[in-house]
Order: sequence, then structure tokens, then C-alpha cells
Amino acid sequence: MDLELTTLIIGIAAGIGAGVLAGLFGVGGGIVFVPTLALLFSFDQLDAQATSLAAIIPVAIIGAWRQSGEDLVNWRAAAIMGAGAALGVLVGAEIAIRIPDERLSQVFGVVLLLVGGDMVIRATRRLRKQA
Amino acid sequence: MDETGLSRAAGVAPYVAIGIVSGLFAALFGIGGGIIIVPLLMLISRMPPRMAAATSLATLILTSLIGVVRYAGTGHVDWTAAAAIGVPAILGVLIGIRFQRRLPADWLVLGFGIFVIVLGLKLVLEIDL
Repeated sequence: MDLELTTLIIGIAAGIGAGVLAGLFGVGGGIVFVPTLALLFSFDQLDAQATSLAAIIPVAIIGAWRQSGEDLVNWRAAAIMGAGAALGVLVGAEIAIRIPDERLSQVFGVVLLLVGGDMVIRATRRLRKQA
Repeated sequence: MDETGLSRAAGVAPYVAIGIVSGLFAALFGIGGGIIIVPLLMLISRMPPRMAAATSLATLILTSLIGVVRYAGTGHVDWTAAAAIGVPAILGVLIGIRFQRRLPADWLVLGFGIFVIVLGLKLVLEIDL
């Protein structure tokens, strides 16, 4: 019972944390949801990913709705990107079946390091200029 | 296609491309759309950071719905667990947006950049967390 309460509290805290990231940065929260489900509830990878998608739905709806009040949502762009993403997922799944993904993930990681590094450098430069 | 038709198509093309790339990466690496969509919207479509984040969330409504529909019949979706983490996340998203409103855009980009670097390190070093 003690353990269950702890599990519940950690689950709620992780959920709130994922939501904060979603609201701040516009990501879905899967990056927190998937490991939480895997570690806390011992889900396997596929169950964790599928369940994470379900958890993202209310976050995305409430978040987009809240931001649309400030006219920040480009709905047309979102609809087009959503349709494109559906196509990309289908193609990506075909590729994923054929290519082992360990090396691919590392290449993707390097891309993320470059993208993130570029953002940090640019933002730091602008912040310095203002100071 | 007349001229307005052409320029309309040219306006749509970047969004189609960003969508496809995000879907591709989601399927290949299990990392969802936002991490790809937000920087690309800022870079290609020149969207301000907050608009990029908000529009990314709107896109995720569609992609997460499609994903769940695809998985729903397979028994991989645990709805109780999804609610256990998804409902607190609603509170989180409201907190995150409130915080975002007070944050200057450059600080937002800096924070997102650090977040992306952490994810990149995780993939490069193969940390399963």
C-alpha cells in the first residue's frame, strides 16, 4: 500500500512535469510519459508508447485551446503538418522494420545536439546584446 | 494552376515537409513531433517561438489521435494509466503556458535549446531513460 501510494505520487508528479514541458516548449510530453510508464508501471516499449499517445491527447487539446485565446495557434499550418505527419509515420514504420535503429538513433542524437547548440548560441548572443 | 494557386501551394509545401519529417522521426526514433516541429517552424517558416510551440501542440492533437486510433484495437493502450499521468499533465500544461507568457522569447529559445541538447546526449550516449 505504501508502495502504491508512492507510485501514484511519482506518476502524478511526472504527469505535471510532462505538462509543464508541453506548455512551455510545445512538445507532447511523450519524452517524460514513455520512461515513466516503462519504469513506474513496468510497461514494455510498445505499451508505453501507445499509452503515452493517449495521455498526450488531453494535453495537446487543452494546451492548444488555451494558446488559441492569444491567437498563437496557426490552425491551418497545424492541420497540414498533421496530415504530413500521418504520411511520415507510415513511411518511417516501413524503414524502421528494415534498418536496425541503434546507429540511426545516434545520428539523430548528433542532429539534436547541433540544433540545440545553435538555439543556445543564438539566444545567448541576443541576450548578451540586450544586456 | 494560376498564380494565386501556385503561391498557395508554395505556402503549403513547407508545412507538408515539416509534417512528414516529424512523422518519419517519430516512427524511427520514438521521439514525438514537437521536438522536430518547433525548431523547423522557427527556422523554415520564421514563426516566433511562442507561436511555433502553440502550433506544434495543435498539430499533436491530430498526430496523437491518429496514433491512438491505430493502436486502440491492439490492446497496447492502457486507458487507466493514460488517465493517471494525462490528467495531472493538464494541470502541468496550464502551468507551463502561464510561465511561458512571462518568459521573454530569447529565454524560451535558450531553455528549449538546452532541452534539445539533453535529448541529443541521451540518444548519442544510449541512455535508456
